[in-house]
Amino acid sequence: MALTASDVTIHFGGVVAVNGMALDVMPGEIVGLIGPNGAGKTTFINCLSGTYRPNTGTALWQGDELIGLSPSALLRKGVARTFQNVASLHDLTVLDIAKLGAGVRRDRRTGGHLLDFFRSDRALEELLMESILAPLELNDVAHKPIQTLSYGRRKAVDLARALAGDPQLLLLDEPVAGLTSHEGMAMAAAVRDVRDRHGCAVIMVEHKMDVVMSTCDRVAVMAAGSKIFEGRPAEVQADPEVRRVYLGEP
Amino acid sequence: MSTRHIAIAIGVAVVMAVLAVVLGRYGAYLVNAVAIAAIGALSLNLLIGYCGQISFAQGALLGVGAYTAGNLGNAGLDGAVAILGAGVLGALVSALIGLPAMRLRGLYFAIATLAAQAILEYLFKILDPLTNGVSGLVIKPPSIFGIPMTSDESLVLPSLVLLVIAWLVVSRLLRTDLGRAFLVVRESEIVAKGMGIDVGHTKLWAFLIGGFIAGMAGALIGFANRLASPEAFTLDLSADYIAMIIIGGLGTWPGPIIGAAFVVLLPEVIQRVGEAAGISDILSALRELAFGLLIILFLIFEPRGLTALLSRIKLRRIGVVPPAGLRATGEGSQSPEGRSR
Repeated sequence: MALTASDVTIHFGGVVAVNGMALDVMPGEIVGLIGPNGAGKTTFINCLSGTYRPNTGTALWQGDELIGLSPSALLRKGVARTFQNVASLHDLTVLDIAKLGAGVRRDRRTGGHLLDFFRSDRALEELLMESILAPLELNDVAHKPIQTLSYGRRKAVDLARALAGDPQLLLLDEPVAGLTSHEGMAMAAAVRDVRDRHGCAVIMVEHKMDVVMSTCDRVAVMAAGSKIFEGRPAEVQADPEVRRVYLGEP
Repeated sequence: MSTRHIAIAIGVAVVMAVLAVVLGRYGAYLVNAVAIAAIGALSLNLLIGYCGQISFAQGALLGVGAYTAGNLGNAGLDGAVAILGAGVLGALVSALIGLPAMRLRGLYFAIATLAAQAILEYLFKILDPLTNGVSGLVIKPPSIFGIPMTSDESLVLPSLVLLVIAWLVVSRLLRTDLGRAFLVVRESEIVAKGMGIDVGHTKLWAFLIGGFIAGMAGALIGFANRLASPEAFTLDLSADYIAMIIIGGLGTWPGPIIGAAFVVLLPEVIQRVGEAAGISDILSALRELAFGLLIILFLIFEPRGLTALLSRIKLRRIGVVPPAGLRATGEGSQSPEGRSR
């Protein structure tokens, strides 16, 4: 088992956003996390990625506890995430952002910045162009500032940033939301391709059911902060309870 | 840092050196003043323009450099050692000024630097054995690498060399992970944290590097003025430096140098015009007013300062009219919605 999260609970004041959530993920598996708005999917991801600290719960990743670690410590352990909304960062090019993603993996609190100063990053640039940007079709815009790109491509840049850190656990928060269906399918293909090439485990929060069905190996359904169902995509679609709270009757 | 950057930086320094030689003593004084101000502005641009940490304590930080170099130089050390010592102490004091930034953001942090400026000004007055109180510390002309620095002409060379080094170091820095982290922290600390950037650590480095450069600039100010006194390093000086980087262009590569030249030379021009017209008394009072007005006008119409203004003129001259709302911003980067911060 790569990731074993259990009993994750977080409340904000009186609102219990995630309530006793448990999820296991195997290496190389893509797990979809679906559910109605406000079900706590993103909050759960935030708990795993160090953005929030849950009130109770554990998340064991290859034997280490993830809960309580900062995002930068998590990245050094190989846990990366993408964001629902992509920030626009002035003055940074697509390649710069990929380099940032690659850089956070290294621990340089001991003053390694000074070494960077004298090191050429040409080799790193070529590596990133070839192995990260090219598969996401970002090669042609590598030297463009991110705010000149379309929303879909910005999301691809965010994924590239996460991938550049060579993660073993990838948390994707609505990777295809807001994309055209063509872009969405390309993104879904990229996610599968990433899993195939890097062998990383993926947890993917997503609303677009066609993407979830075609991409995920397993789907967990959340409602009101808890997991109400878990199974293969086809089983999820057939489950009456999931239909009632989320999918709706055909 | 590209070859183009190196060529431009050295070219600018050579032009300034030639001007200093051709224009004689007064010219050398002005070139020296511009070069030193440009080094100080580079340091503040790193902090405010690139890392987004607004500091009003630059004046006091320059003072720390001037007093440190003065004391080290007066104690008989070589000027180069004194300048490096001023850089080290500048970095340490700057890191102290930056400590509240670990907890405070934006305007709240800016207010904390205001307090730091006031405290340092007070320390300059009361730390008598080191600063000689309100009357100020008289600084003996130093020797740099054994060459005596007895005039403005002789100081031009070390000032220009330091300017080129500082300029290129800052531009190289921006091509490292640390420099890229500065830019993300400036845009949003929340995004930076989510991307796995250690925000506190990044800010600390900005203060250390900025402080080191500011300390060295302060040392040169001390050597040029031969005096370090509390009234030379007040909030007014901090405001001048903020004016430089805003007029030159926040977060642009040539901005600090253009802004420094503008802010140092404008009063001289006003003075000359005033003398020629016989109204110098009235015009010299207009100096502060002119800077205040310029800052407001630039913030409204061209937040990327003279740098953006110049590159737009250049683009128009070679026949490329930038589409409306898309401004060229000096360093090949474009920000469609300007910089509305």
